[in-house]
Amino acid sequence: MSTYVLMRILESAPGRYDLGMRILTLGRLDRAYDRLAGRIGQGHRVLDIGCGTGALTLRAARRGATVKGIDINAEMLEIARRRISAAGLGERVELSEAGVAELDGEEAQQYDVVMSGLCFSELSDDETAYALKEAARLLRPGGLLLLADEIRPRGFLRRSMHWLARLPLAALTYAVTQQTTRAAVDLPGNMARAGFTILSLRTNLLGSFGEFVAQKQGGDS
Amino acid sequence: MIGRVRFAFLTVVETLLRVLPFPCKTGLIKIGNPGRDAPVFLTCNFRLTVERVRRALKGMDAYLLVANSKGVNVWCAATGGLFTNHDVVSVLRTSGIEALVDHRRVILPQLAATGIESRVVRRKTGWNVVWGPVYAASIPAFFHGGMKKTASMRTVRFPWTERLEMAVSWAFPISLLCLAVYPFWKDGVLPLVGFVWAWSFLVFMSFPLYERYLKRDSKNVGFVFFDFGQRGLPLLLWVLFLAGLAGWSLTKGDFSWPLALRWGIGSLVVVLIFGLDLTGSTPLYKSGLHEDRLLRIVLDTGLCKGAADCERVCPVDVFEVDSARRMATLPRQDQCVQCGACIVQCPLDALRFRGPKGDEVLPETVRRFKLNLIGTRKAPPRPAEEEHDRSG
Repeated sequence: MSTYVLMRILESAPGRYDLGMRILTLGRLDRAYDRLAGRIGQGHRVLDIGCGTGALTLRAARRGATVKGIDINAEMLEIARRRISAAGLGERVELSEAGVAELDGEEAQQYDVVMSGLCFSELSDDETAYALKEAARLLRPGGLLLLADEIRPRGFLRRSMHWLARLPLAALTYAVTQQTTRAAVDLPGNMARAGFTILSLRTNLLGSFGEFVAQKQGGDS
Repeated sequence: MIGRVRFAFLTVVETLLRVLPFPCKTGLIKIGNPGRDAPVFLTCNFRLTVERVRRALKGMDAYLLVANSKGVNVWCAATGGLFTNHDVVSVLRTSGIEALVDHRRVILPQLAATGIESRVVRRKTGWNVVWGPVYAASIPAFFHGGMKKTASMRTVRFPWTERLEMAVSWAFPISLLCLAVYPFWKDGVLPLVGFVWAWSFLVFMSFPLYERYLKRDSKNVGFVFFDFGQRGLPLLLWVLFLAGLAGWSLTKGDFSWPLALRWGIGSLVVVLIFGLDLTGSTPLYKSGLHEDRLLRIVLDTGLCKGAADCERVCPVDVFEVDSARRMATLPRQDQCVQCGACIVQCPLDALRFRGPKGDEVLPETVRRFKLNLIGTRKAPPRPAEEEHDRSG
């Protein structure tokens, strides 16, 4: 989805992030997050990688899960913290300023669900592979991995159309923030290598945004 | 040959557009045939920096880790919060370097010390941070000299090559702005662009001639030869220009709006150039733009134990550790450029900034809140508990 490059403008001012994201995605992201969070049940233990201002964390906590959210942006975390305490969900949520490479203190197989929204597209190839391996380590067998992110469209035609649609927005974003986003790298391949089976993948028309539901091998549910 | 042409091309493009970031791929780069005890260097992912470090490491057997600084150079990124502990931890953990070497010692560029906390990196990864030299070109001498830094390896300089780069990276974006007048003032473009380039080169290349007139410890703003307040100087220039316009119209009697417009554009370019923060554009002086933000380093002698981290990371050689008294001294405090590296690295929190009104910036603030583009530290976000305390 081409508008995700504008995420950068918003990220540079975390306070405007949520409203901006809603306008840019015309509610699409909200719906994607709602669908993914629908997989989370009462009492689940959930890890949110790159929780940002807490969009997915809040949804999971509202469904009765216990959530740990990590992010490297202290300002975004602060907003998440305020939103969560305003929703009265502080008891069920733990937030921590950490990146995916800082989870080695976490005990293996302790989570039912690992989720992440718009974070993997910020990671390098190395980091993506590492993060998925960590997700596999931290999930119990049969646990779910829920991802919503910008992906690389398949096929030359779609890719070109996406590139063209994205170009002006990318240029604008670069002009304002000198930053750009890129699509997450080969998520299906990386997921398979980390030991996940993809249960469902839902993409938009251009195939540039994907919602993944994957399961850690070695269990039924 | 191709490598050299490519490097020259990168140097030109990334000098012209120095104000913009140029990110490159992060991760691990092998130099030569590194073995299990090969040194591990780490740098940022500004493309030109990576190329320069690679060239400096040529002939060595080493690993180079490229961490994500969002395409910005080491000093700016670390000081501005774009190059953080998280980025260093991430590349150490995810690049695969831990499986390739037996030691846990990583050499970081010294200028990263404003943002990367060696103690946090060690606590999170077990890797020991060694502060390397300021310039990539000194890496071989540093490494072969037993990783000891001479004073010149830890000090920033402002040689003519860098002044040239600075002149170009000033002049080029401003000349692009000048091109915008082409549709309605064709003849004005060349003189404006010419003036911008000539002026930038004059100011930066003659730096050694007027450097001794620059003051380190007081406001020192706008154009170097005068000591106007930042707001006063542009205003005064505008007044001069308006007087000039009025004088011209009165004596020649041919006032017209197009003339006024051109006069306005011309004066805007001149005022922009004169109003630029010259001292802040050098690595040797602090920005003179905000008198209220001229901070001094103060040492709490009761806390200092002479750990010497400050001496190792200061890029302007402010400190000298008195090993007999086990105490840091600040014999060249007037050279401080307020980068904050010493405060960030001091293991005993013995250093802090003090403002002109006696207000203090504590180590915790310098570590957590980085400088934004206009040189202010973001207001500390309040943790939820504190908010609760305040209401209670």
